[in-house]
Amino acid sequence: MGRARGAARRVLAVWCPDWPPGTPDSGPEARGFEQVVAAVEKFCPRVEVVRPGMCAIGATGPARYFGGEESLARKITDAVTALGFACRAGVADSLFAAQLAAQAPGLAPGLASGPAPGSAHAAAPGPARTGAPGRAGLPGLIVAPGGTRAFLAPYPVSVLDVPEFADLLPRLGIWTLGDFARLPAAEAANRFGAPGKRAHRLARGLDARPLAPRQPSADLSVHVDFDPPADQAEPVIFAAKTAAERMHAGLAARGLACVRVQVQATCADGQDITRLWRHAGLLSALAVAERVRWQLDGWRAGRDPDERSPGETALTGGITRLRLVPDQLVRAEGRQLGLWGDAVISDRVARAATRVQAMLGHAAVMRPVLAGGRDPAEQVTLVPFGDSGTPLLPAGRPWPGRIPAPAPATVYPVPRPARVTDDSGTTVTVTGRAVVSAPPARLSADGGPWLTVTAWAGPWPVNERWWAAAVSARRRARFQLVTGDGNAWLAAVQDGGWLIEASYD
Amino acid sequence: MGAEIAQVTPLSPQQDGGQPRPADRARPADRARRGDGVLPDVGVLPVLPALRELLPGGLPRGSVVAAGDWSLLCLALAAGASLAGAWCAIAGLPALGVAAAAGAGLDPGRLLLIADPGAGWPHVLASLLDGCDLVLLRPPSQPSAQVRRRLEAVTRRHGGVLVVAGDWAGAQCRLSVARQEWAGIGTGHGRLRARRVQVVADGRGAAARPLSRWLWLPGPDGAVTAVSAGHGEPEAGGGPDIGELGIGELGIGELGIGWPGDAIPRRSAG
Repeated sequence: MGRARGAARRVLAVWCPDWPPGTPDSGPEARGFEQVVAAVEKFCPRVEVVRPGMCAIGATGPARYFGGEESLARKITDAVTALGFACRAGVADSLFAAQLAAQAPGLAPGLASGPAPGSAHAAAPGPARTGAPGRAGLPGLIVAPGGTRAFLAPYPVSVLDVPEFADLLPRLGIWTLGDFARLPAAEAANRFGAPGKRAHRLARGLDARPLAPRQPSADLSVHVDFDPPADQAEPVIFAAKTAAERMHAGLAARGLACVRVQVQATCADGQDITRLWRHAGLLSALAVAERVRWQLDGWRAGRDPDERSPGETALTGGITRLRLVPDQLVRAEGRQLGLWGDAVISDRVARAATRVQAMLGHAAVMRPVLAGGRDPAEQVTLVPFGDSGTPLLPAGRPWPGRIPAPAPATVYPVPRPARVTDDSGTTVTVTGRAVVSAPPARLSADGGPWLTVTAWAGPWPVNERWWAAAVSARRRARFQLVTGDGNAWLAAVQDGGWLIEASYD
Repeated sequence: MGAEIAQVTPLSPQQDGGQPRPADRARPADRARRGDGVLPDVGVLPVLPALRELLPGGLPRGSVVAAGDWSLLCLALAAGASLAGAWCAIAGLPALGVAAAAGAGLDPGRLLLIADPGAGWPHVLASLLDGCDLVLLRPPSQPSAQVRRRLEAVTRRHGGVLVVAGDWAGAQCRLSVARQEWAGIGTGHGRLRARRVQVVADGRGAAARPLSRWLWLPGPDGAVTAVSAGHGEPEAGGGPDIGELGIGELGIGELGIGWPGDAIPRRSAG
């Protein structure tokens, strides 16, 4: 369905002040916005998510269907508000203007919770109501077709969100978008380059780029309902097998295969218990059914009242729904084991490891991969069983300054605080030139008893990753200490405090 | 129980030289079930050559060995089986040094680590014993006698070996470190090179007579070796002589740059 050239294009933006502009794109906050997007998707399947907290749809078609832009905006805001999120809508000729219209302050008495205080746009001076202002009750603003340029004119140039323009344009005497839009387009492009051209289009009420709607993804998951709720594991496992076959058929029809399967069981009391299963090869229908069995067995074990740890999810009241969601789709290419080199995991080991994963979670069973690095703790990377991972720091490089063999048998994941004093009871320090204040005489780890230091060596200064000061830079002076009980320790001085990194027990 | 243990008669070290021997002594049921295993189907798991005198029969399948809280000793016990191709699981030791394990001879590629087996650890242990030939466990809590006997039965049924980092009331064999001395480090100079350790083994049945041996645990390259016969007993009071290991020849140069050793100016060294 095309649109006549030159005909007014309308955009409706939905703004939720619950997500301030700085919200990261990934992470749980952004995923919460999915609910809003899903609600808006009910009105128009092609929703563009601008950022968490702001999404937009092309309004022309839906407005015709839902009885006008105002009615559409009202319906959408009602639907989102029903989810429990504060929401405003704005309609204009361009996405940029629609966003500003959605955020225009003080126009809607119906808006219960005002705009987010952190929003820069909320602090902008209220523009004159050049468009058709929202009527009482409509949380949002509708800019009349063709009125977009006039609507934008009073806004300061800072709303363009280009830091250099916010500083530069006022110095040139251009304070508002209206002033900027009055410049000839060619001159703006000459003087300010591509960003200036884009900004000039925005100021004139045009789109900097066409809307890029997101495609609704096909639902490839399958589910089985149990009525009455299944108390026994057997029928659930049996149903899981056929469900897995259906899921695989659906995937195969699209030429896809999945690396992980999410098994989600809903109990009669509404509790959801979910586990992700991964397999290096493809999960056959039987393998999926087997994993469902392990998952249910794991919960059953957790349900044993005398052996359940607090906080563990337990199966209650039978299962009403089993849902299999394919995760991490890949193109189905088949899989061939290498003739040499692939570590072959026997079925027996894989079965045992997966069963323990069913009880404790995917990340509870790890396989170590030797890595590089200087610390004893860095020299191993743990990969959950069934995943493949490569170490961050490659092994087999020289790593000058690494702790030489023999390696400590106990490496504390988090270094333990310690105190090391000399004969007079003063804490031993190390200067910037690696000079020890006094020979270490006594050691107390984690506030434990004082042990006599019978032999020691060091300090070995380590100054790592000084170029990444905020992230991982570290200056340490390492010591090896042998205490009177025969134990040997790898200790370090960092920022004036002593840490025990490892023990040679 | 005793009858089952008796069937896996220890092989004498002179006879087999530590190599797994054809499965003439394994139970027939075991043989059938173990067909898919990686290890040759024998009644014992091999141990490192250094430990052969302490455990003349290797680690009999279905047995429990307690090795106290000495992490490296536990790893050395597991290393022989891992070298021979067995899968090992290590549960309840979140601070395990995998580099040390690799140095002792464990293959990291055939290692499962379960840092925290949780309150339901007997279930976890039973599952692990089903899949792995050797499980090294530090029990998160003291098991009741009933749970302990049940787990011993599971160990026997699956033909695995349970190495306990700690104490275990029903262990067939107990290893402990009686004395330890570090070599290569002085007061303000040198570095940790090797540790000479007197390991004492005692237990029930064939292992009833306590045996004691001196081991390098670890040796200068992290491996576990026996202290050669001529240097079995260090003279009382005398510091360990690192010359006997030939470490003196290693020199500081092999450590490469960045490990300055004694090159650091020190105001008040010992």
